[in-house]
Amino acid sequence: MADAPDDSELQLRKFQKELSAGTVSLALLAVLGSAAEPMYGYQIAKRLESLDGVLSGKQSALYPVLRNLSAAGLLDSHVEPSVAGPPRRYYRITEAGRTTLQHWTAAWRATRDSVDAVLEGERQ
Amino acid sequence: MNSSLMNTNRPPQSIPEYLEQLRVALTGADPALVQDALYDAEEYLRSELAEQPGRSEAEVIASVASSYGAPDEVADIYRDTEVKVQTALRPPAPKPRTSLVGRFFGVAADPRTYASMFYMVLSLATGIFYFTWVVTGLSVSLSLVVVLIGIPLLILFFGSVRLLSLVEGRLVEVMLGERMPRRPLYSARGRNWLQRIGDMFTDVRTWSTLFYLLLMLPLGIVYFTINVTLLSLSLSMIAAPLLVWTGMATAGVSNYGWSVLNWSNDSGLSTSFPLIATPLLLVTGVLTLFASLHLFRGIGRMHGGIAKHLLVKTAQYS
Repeated sequence: MADAPDDSELQLRKFQKELSAGTVSLALLAVLGSAAEPMYGYQIAKRLESLDGVLSGKQSALYPVLRNLSAAGLLDSHVEPSVAGPPRRYYRITEAGRTTLQHWTAAWRATRDSVDAVLEGERQ
Repeated sequence: MNSSLMNTNRPPQSIPEYLEQLRVALTGADPALVQDALYDAEEYLRSELAEQPGRSEAEVIASVASSYGAPDEVADIYRDTEVKVQTALRPPAPKPRTSLVGRFFGVAADPRTYASMFYMVLSLATGIFYFTWVVTGLSVSLSLVVVLIGIPLLILFFGSVRLLSLVEGRLVEVMLGERMPRRPLYSARGRNWLQRIGDMFTDVRTWSTLFYLLLMLPLGIVYFTINVTLLSLSLSMIAAPLLVWTGMATAGVSNYGWSVLNWSNDSGLSTSFPLIATPLLLVTGVLTLFASLHLFRGIGRMHGGIAKHLLVKTAQYS
């Protein structure tokens, strides 16, 4: 009986998870693409925290994605010692990253527009 | 959120406690993944703590549960992501060398080579042990089956074989790099103990494991012999010219038959090669050494394959 609300909650969670899996890389690239200087994980996480929607999910999910983007050559990283704790890994966007960001942005806009169009149609 | 709080005994009060809970939550995950997760969490927690100087460590960590995630949630997130980007998260493989020369000599920089070398030496000892264990266990328990006490002995013996299989799997994974199971396999949940014992005898893996353990003796002898022979041959081929050139050995001596490097009381260190042949000997020695390293690494890879095939059923491993 108590399962019904849980179920829709679970569906929503799953949908959010899938949404964020696709968009988090784009958001991270965009944040670093507009950053004037290299940023470390915590700073990036705090930047995204202020946003609404799927991107404000658990911030621990960002770190593996950063590592992944870095391994793919879209981000450059270096380690600097810090007074607060372990050495921090700073990330900066590469040229390949900027090109990818442009392509992804175009793909995102196209997708957003068509999803919006479909949703508008639904409403009428 | 609620479910994750229920899973932990109590919310962590300090950063080491948080990291410890995360480590526990990640039990069984790839060690590289655990290391990454702990590192990231510590960076985040310390940064958060530094940002909020007024608050106590416990308060900061309590607030982190909603932003960064509780240890259980973080563990889940890392496991999920590991599946998605497994290949990208792997530690960078040594860059494939393009030139033929680079590929030939690059073998010396590959840690896998030396691990394989060590495994080959060790396999003589483990091979002797496995063989003795299996032969003794089987013959003692089978011959006592007639007086019934052999039956529990046989069951006990089969259990020990499963344990040995796990131990050998760990050795193979650590030294040869072949991913092997990390805990024993309980395929028979929900079956009673009599059925489980029956499963032990009908499970193909039991018999292939026994075969593997027996096979380890001849393989161990071959591996050990190849290893020691090739290493001593190539190293003495390298050492002889160097010793001759530094005046510590004499060239062209053959009073005790023909030898690359020899020691005797009357002539000291000597080699049967004439002085003129020593540069060629050195070059051949170096080439033989590197070719041997290739062979060792190749044998390691091959043996990993054998172990995987005989100790792990592929269907159960997917």
